[in-house]
Amino acid sequence: MKKIFFTLTIISTITATAQNKSVLIMNGIAHLGTDSVIQNSIIGIKDGKINLVADATTAKLDKATYDEVMDATGKNIYPGFIVPNSTLGLTEIEAVRATNDYREIGTTLPNIRSIIAYNTDSKIIPTVRTNGILMAQITPRGGMVSGTSSIVVLDGWNWEDAAYKIDDGIHINWPNMVGRKVLDEDNGTFGPYEKNKEYIKQTNELKKLFDDAKAYNETDVKEEKNLRMESMKGIFTGTQTLYIHSNDVKEIVEAVNFVKKYELKRVVLVGGKDSWLVTDLLKQNNIAVMVSRTHDLPQYPEDDVDLPYKLPYLLQKAGVQFCLNNEGGMEAAGARNLPFLAGTAAAYGLTKEQAVKSITLSTAKMLGIDKTTGSIEVGKDATIFISTGDALDMRTNNVEKAFIKGKSIDLDNEQKALYLKYKNKYGLK
Amino acid sequence: MKKIFLFLVSIAIATASFAQETFPINGTTNKNHNIYAFTNTTLVVSADETIANATLLIKDGIIIGAGAKVSVPKGAVVYDLKGKSIYPALIDAYTNYGIADAKPAPRGFPGPQMESYIKGAYGWNQAVKADLDAYKLFVDNATASEEMRKLGFGAVLTFQKDGIVRGSATVVSLADGKENNLIIADRAAAMLSFDKGTSTQDYPSSLMGAIALLRQTFLDASWYKSDKTKKEYNISLDAFNNLQTLPQIFETTDKLSALRADKIGDEFKTKYIIKGCGNEYQRLDELKATNCKFIIPLNFPAAFDVEDAYDVANISLAEMKHWEMAPVNAFALEKNYIPFAITTADLKDKKEFWKNLRKAITYGLSEKQALKSLTTIPAEMLNVSDKIGSLKTGMLANFIITSGNLFDEKTIIYENWIQGNPYKINDYNTIDVRGVYNFSYQDKRLYELKIEGDIDKLKGTVLIDTTKTPVNISVAGNSVSMSFNPKDITGTIRLSGNIISEPIKMSGKGQTPDGDWIEWSAIYKSALTPTVKKDSAKKQPTFGKVIYPFCAYGKPHDEDAGFFKEAIKDIKNPYDAVLIKHVTVWTNEKEGILKNQDVYITEGRIVRIDGDINAPKTAFAKVIDGTGKHLTAGIIDEHSHIAIYSGVNEGTQASSAEVRIGDVVYSEDINIYRQLSGGVTTSQLLHGSANPIGGQSAIIKLRWGKSPEEMKFEKADGYIKFALGENVKQSNWGDLNTVRYPQSRMGVEQVYYDYFIRAKEYDAKQKAFGALSDKEKASATPFRRDLELEALAEILNKKRFITCHSYVQSEINMLMHVGDSLGFQVNTFTHILEGYKVADKMKARNIGGSTFSDWWAYKMEVKEAIPYNASLMNQMGIVTAVNSDDAEMGRRLNQEAAKSVKYGGTSEEDALKMVTLNPAKLLHIDKKVGSIKVGKDADVVLWSDNPLSIYAKVEKTIIDGHIYYDSEDDAKMRVEIQKERARIIQKMLDEKKGGAPVVKPMPKKQKLYGCDDLETDYMNAD
Repeated sequence: MKKIFFTLTIISTITATAQNKSVLIMNGIAHLGTDSVIQNSIIGIKDGKINLVADATTAKLDKATYDEVMDATGKNIYPGFIVPNSTLGLTEIEAVRATNDYREIGTTLPNIRSIIAYNTDSKIIPTVRTNGILMAQITPRGGMVSGTSSIVVLDGWNWEDAAYKIDDGIHINWPNMVGRKVLDEDNGTFGPYEKNKEYIKQTNELKKLFDDAKAYNETDVKEEKNLRMESMKGIFTGTQTLYIHSNDVKEIVEAVNFVKKYELKRVVLVGGKDSWLVTDLLKQNNIAVMVSRTHDLPQYPEDDVDLPYKLPYLLQKAGVQFCLNNEGGMEAAGARNLPFLAGTAAAYGLTKEQAVKSITLSTAKMLGIDKTTGSIEVGKDATIFISTGDALDMRTNNVEKAFIKGKSIDLDNEQKALYLKYKNKYGLK
Repeated sequence: MKKIFLFLVSIAIATASFAQETFPINGTTNKNHNIYAFTNTTLVVSADETIANATLLIKDGIIIGAGAKVSVPKGAVVYDLKGKSIYPALIDAYTNYGIADAKPAPRGFPGPQMESYIKGAYGWNQAVKADLDAYKLFVDNATASEEMRKLGFGAVLTFQKDGIVRGSATVVSLADGKENNLIIADRAAAMLSFDKGTSTQDYPSSLMGAIALLRQTFLDASWYKSDKTKKEYNISLDAFNNLQTLPQIFETTDKLSALRADKIGDEFKTKYIIKGCGNEYQRLDELKATNCKFIIPLNFPAAFDVEDAYDVANISLAEMKHWEMAPVNAFALEKNYIPFAITTADLKDKKEFWKNLRKAITYGLSEKQALKSLTTIPAEMLNVSDKIGSLKTGMLANFIITSGNLFDEKTIIYENWIQGNPYKINDYNTIDVRGVYNFSYQDKRLYELKIEGDIDKLKGTVLIDTTKTPVNISVAGNSVSMSFNPKDITGTIRLSGNIISEPIKMSGKGQTPDGDWIEWSAIYKSALTPTVKKDSAKKQPTFGKVIYPFCAYGKPHDEDAGFFKEAIKDIKNPYDAVLIKHVTVWTNEKEGILKNQDVYITEGRIVRIDGDINAPKTAFAKVIDGTGKHLTAGIIDEHSHIAIYSGVNEGTQASSAEVRIGDVVYSEDINIYRQLSGGVTTSQLLHGSANPIGGQSAIIKLRWGKSPEEMKFEKADGYIKFALGENVKQSNWGDLNTVRYPQSRMGVEQVYYDYFIRAKEYDAKQKAFGALSDKEKASATPFRRDLELEALAEILNKKRFITCHSYVQSEINMLMHVGDSLGFQVNTFTHILEGYKVADKMKARNIGGSTFSDWWAYKMEVKEAIPYNASLMNQMGIVTAVNSDDAEMGRRLNQEAAKSVKYGGTSEEDALKMVTLNPAKLLHIDKKVGSIKVGKDADVVLWSDNPLSIYAKVEKTIIDGHIYYDSEDDAKMRVEIQKERARIIQKMLDEKKGGAPVVKPMPKKQKLYGCDDLETDYMNAD
C-alpha cells in the first residue's frame, strides 16, 4: 500500500527521459488541429517529430521501421493543447503571497521576463497536462505594460529545458476609460464607476514609450542602454508579438488605432469580450483575438445568456482569427479545463474540429510557433496525446498517453497519488 | 454690514404675530389679536370640499370661520380675493428641515470596531438611536423654510436621518421665528430604516444584519420593559419602548425593501408607514397586500445620453424602463387604492417638485388624490389632522392663496399664510400688464409693443419697422420700467413710468443713450393672441409594460392586460399540463435510465411516466417532442449565493446565527434566469463563510418573476451556515483584521463550545419558562429571547441543520467531535475538499458532503484538494453533492457533475445524482424533488443531449409544471428586449433634443457573491 504510493510520487516527479523511441500509432481518430479529422489514422513519430500522418484505410507502410506500434482503435488523438496567456508556474497558491510571481510593481515593465520565474516543479503543472494541455504561454500580469511572456512545453527539469520560445511577446493592459476606486483592497469594496480621469495621461504614457522605443531601436549607437526600450525591439522588427489585453469595445477601438500607427506586424487582442462588435475593424487590421474564458457570465443583464459561450462562433462567422484562453480566477489550476472551454464553443456554434483548432493550431499561429507545432502534420513536433474519448468533453476526456516532442510523458500527479492512497486506506476498488 | 443684518432679523421677528408668553420683552409689547378676513374666494376646505364665494376668518393664527355664510366682524382686516382661491397649505411628511446632519462618532484606529463608541448608558449598537428626539434638535432655518413655502408647504415632518432606529420626528410649521412657536407636534412619529448611517461600528455590515438588529431590538426592548428589577439601565431600549405608541415610518430604497419592512412589522404587530423610493409600481400586488400606507417621492430620473451607441450597453433595461415609467408610480398606487402621501424628499432640486407633480398628473394621477396626498393624508398619518391639512374652524391658519386651480400650470401661488403669518410669494396686486400696446417714444411714431411671459418674468418686444426688438420690462406696484435698444440707435433707451389700470395705460419719462430726456406712453390695444400648443403636448403619455421581475428577461403578468388592469393575475399559464413524448428519462430511481418514455405533468406534479401517453382531452396540454432528448430532475445547487441583496456575510462577529438570508432574497437577480438556462430549479442561498457560525440560509425554487416570498421552497427545513478555516480566522483579509476572535483553528473550536454550551443553557431556560402558567410567568424573572442562541438551540433540538464550509481534515474532525460531545450533528460539510481523508468518519455519523468538482490551489487549505473527492466520498457511501458557490458555475453544474465520471470513474447515473437527488437529500427535500417519480414536484429539465455531456443544452426548465426557461422563448425575448430598448432610446433622444438634461451612462456591474465576500459598506453595494 505504502509502496505503491511511494512509487507513484517518484514517477510523478520524473520528467520525460531522453528516450528517442520511434512510435507508430495505429487506427486512432486523429483530430489534426487543422479543422480536419482522419477517422482511421496512422501517425508516425520519429526523432521527436511527426514523420507520418495517413489514412489507415489507404496507406501502406512497414511497421517494422518503428520501435513501437500502438493500437489506438476507437481512441482520439490530438495535437497537444496550448494554454496561452497563463500564469501557470508563476503561482502555486493564490492566497499565499510568497508563492506568487506574476506581478511586478510599476506601470511600464516591458523588460520583465516571465520565463525565469517559471517553476517547472509546480505541483499544478502535472495536473494540467493530465488533461491534454502540453504547452503554455507563461504571461506576467499587472502594470500597463506587464512584461514579456514566453512559451514552454509542460515538461522539463528547469525553465531552460521547458522553454519553447523565449520572450515571444510583450503584454499591455489597455487603460480603462471607466473605472472604480478601490475603497478597501482587503475586503474588495469599490466606489461607484466613474470616468477614468487619468485615461489620456495613461495612453500618452504608452504612446511616448512606443515612440521612444521605436526611435531608440532605430538608432545605431546608443549613448546609454535602456533596458525597457531594448526589450521592445522585437515588436517593431516583427520577431515579437504585441498582446493587447482589452475587453471593452471603446477601448478595443482605441487600442487598434494606437497600434496602427506603429505598423506592427504581429498584434493580438487578448480578452476581447466585446470583440464581436468590431469584427470588421479587427479583420482590416489583421488582429487576432485570444478570446476570454467562455465559461463566464455575460457582462450585462440584457446580453444573450449564452454570449460568452458563443463568442468564438461569432468571431469564426465573421472571419476573425481567434484562439481560446483561460485568464481569470484560479487560472493556473483551472488551466486543465481549457479543453472544456473549447467543448462549450463547439456546443454553441463551432464544429468540434474548429473547436480543437481554437486550442491548438490557431493558438500556435498567434504565438508564432505554428511552423513547428500546433497540429498533427508531418515535420512538426510530436507533441500529441491520446484520449480514450472526446477530449473536449469532461465526461469522456481521458488522456492515456501523451508525447512532448516525441517523448512519452508521465501522466500521474500528486492528486492521483492522494486518490490512490486513500482508496487504499479504505480498501476500495 | 452688521447693521443691515440686524435690521433684517428684526423684521423677520416682527412678521410673526405670536410671541412667547414666558419670555421677557426688550422694549414694548406688540401683541396683535386682529381678525383677518379673506372674502369672495374659492375656498378649498379639503380635497373633498370646495366652497365658492367663501370667506375665511382667522385670529391669533387660528381659523375662526370658514364658509359661504361667514360674516365679517367689525374691525377685521379684509382682503378681497375675488377670482382667487384658497387651499390648505401643503404638508411634507418626510424632511430633515431645520435639523443638522448627524456627525459620526470619532474612530480612533483602522480595523474592526466591535463595540459602540457612544459613551453613556446607551445600548450596544451605534445604529440604534432611539433616544434621538428631533424636536430637541430643531432650529428654524429661514432659507430652507422659504424654499418650501414658495412651493406651497406650510408644515413638515422633520427628523435626523441617521441610523436604523432614528428616534422621533417632529411636525413643525414653516413659519419663521422662535422655535417655541413652530412645533406643532413634538413627538409625531418614530423613524426607522435599514441604513446604519454614520455608525462606525462594524455590525451590521449587511442588510440582513440590519434586519436582525431591528428584530433583536424589539425583543430586548420588550424584555426590558417587563423586567422590573432593571439591573441594567439602558437609555436606548427605554427610548425604543417610548417610540412604540407613535406612528412608525420606515424608509426604504427599493420596492422589495418595503416588503421586508412590512414583514418585520408583521412579526412585531406594527403597521409601518413606508417611505417609498418611487419604484413601487414594479411590485404593486405585493405592496398592496401589505396594507401599508406610503410616502412617495417624485424623484423621476433624468434621461440618459444615448447618442453613443456603445455607451448604451451600460444602461440596463430596468433603468430605461424606470425612466419611462417613474412618473406613473403615483397613479399606479392611486389606481390600486394604496393610500399614500407625497413628499419632496429625494428630489435633487426642490424646484422640480411642481414640474414633477404635474407630470405625474399627466400620467394619470388625479388632482384630487394629489391634493389629498399633500394635505389630509399626511396630516392623518401624523395624527395632526385636527390642526393642519384642511381649513376648518379651530385649525391652524395654514393656507395658500392662488390665482386658480393649484395644479394648473399657469397658476400662481400669491401668498402662503402659516399660523396666521403672511408670506408673500407673488404680489396679487401687481397689475397684469400682459397684452398688446400702442407704444410711442421720442419721435411720436406709433409702434406695436407686445408684453408676454410669466407675471413675475415679463418679456417684451417692440416692432420697429419690421425688426422685433426685445424689451426688458419690470413692474412693481404701479411703477414700470423698460429698456431696449432700437437698431438705428447705438446704446439703450431707458424708460420709467406709471401704470393706470382699466384700461391699462403706461406713461412717463425716459433717457436716450445720449442722456436726453424723452416722453413715452403705451396704451392697451388688445389681448395677446393665445399661442396654439401643438397637439403632441397634450397627448397622453405612452409607456411599456411592467415586467416581472423588472429587468431583462422579465415578462409582463398578462400579455393581454394593460398596466392598469384592476387586479393583476398570476403569471398566466397557457396550458394545464405538459406532456413530453419519446424522451430518455433519467429517473434517479431504481428504474434507472428509461428510453423512449412519455412523461405527463399536471397541477405541478409528475403524474405519469409510461411508454405511450395520450393527453386527456379535457386538459389543454402542451406536447413536447422529446425524441433524441433527455429529461432529468431539475438541478439543485446546495451552495449558491445568487439572488441575495446587500451583503452575503455578516462577518462582524464570530457568530451571526441571528441573521437570515430569507430576509434578503432578491427576486430580480438576472442570475436566477441564467441558472434556469442551465437547468437549475432549486438553490440553497447560503450565508458566506466569514465566521464560524454564519447565518440562516434560504432554499428557493427559481420561480423567475415571482416575489421573494413566493420563491421560497415550501415547508423546507431551516439550515444554517457554519464555516471553518482560513476565512473564519481571517487569514487572507490583510494585516488589519487581527482583532476579531478567532484568529486560529484552536479558537474556532472554543467558539463552538462556548456558543453551544450557552445555547444549551438558554434552551433549558426557555423550556422551563415556557412550562410556567401565565400567572407564574407574570411574577417570574422575565425571559429574554435571544435570536442568536435560539437558532443554535434549534440545532440542538434538530429543528435546524448545519451546512458547514470546510476544507482540511483536522478541523472537520474537530467539529464532528464538538457535535458528538454537545449532542448535535453536522448535516452537510460543504466544499469539504479533504472529505476524502475523513470519509469514514463522516460515513459513521451519516454526514453528507457537498463539494467542488475540481477547485484547488487558491488557498493554503486547499493544497490537498483533489478532483477525485466526490467520487471517493460517493464510493464510501456518503450522500455526495457537487455545488457551485459561483453564479457562473451554477449554470454548468451538469458539467461539474460529469467531472466525477472523469475523475474517479463514477457512473453517469450517480454523477447526475450529485447535482439532483443527492443535494435534495442533503436539503431534506428529496420527498418532493430530486428524481423523476410519479407524485413528485414537476421540476424537470429537458436537455438536447446526454445531460452530462458538454454538448448538452437546456431546452426547457420546468418548475411546478410551469416552463420557466424555454430556449425558443428565450430567442424571442432577446429580440423583444432589443426592440424595447430601441424604442426607449428613441424617446431619450427626443428628450435630449427637447433640451432636457441627460445623464452620461456609467457601468454598474452587479456584485457577484462568493463565500469570501465581505462588505464593509452594504448600503453602497450595487
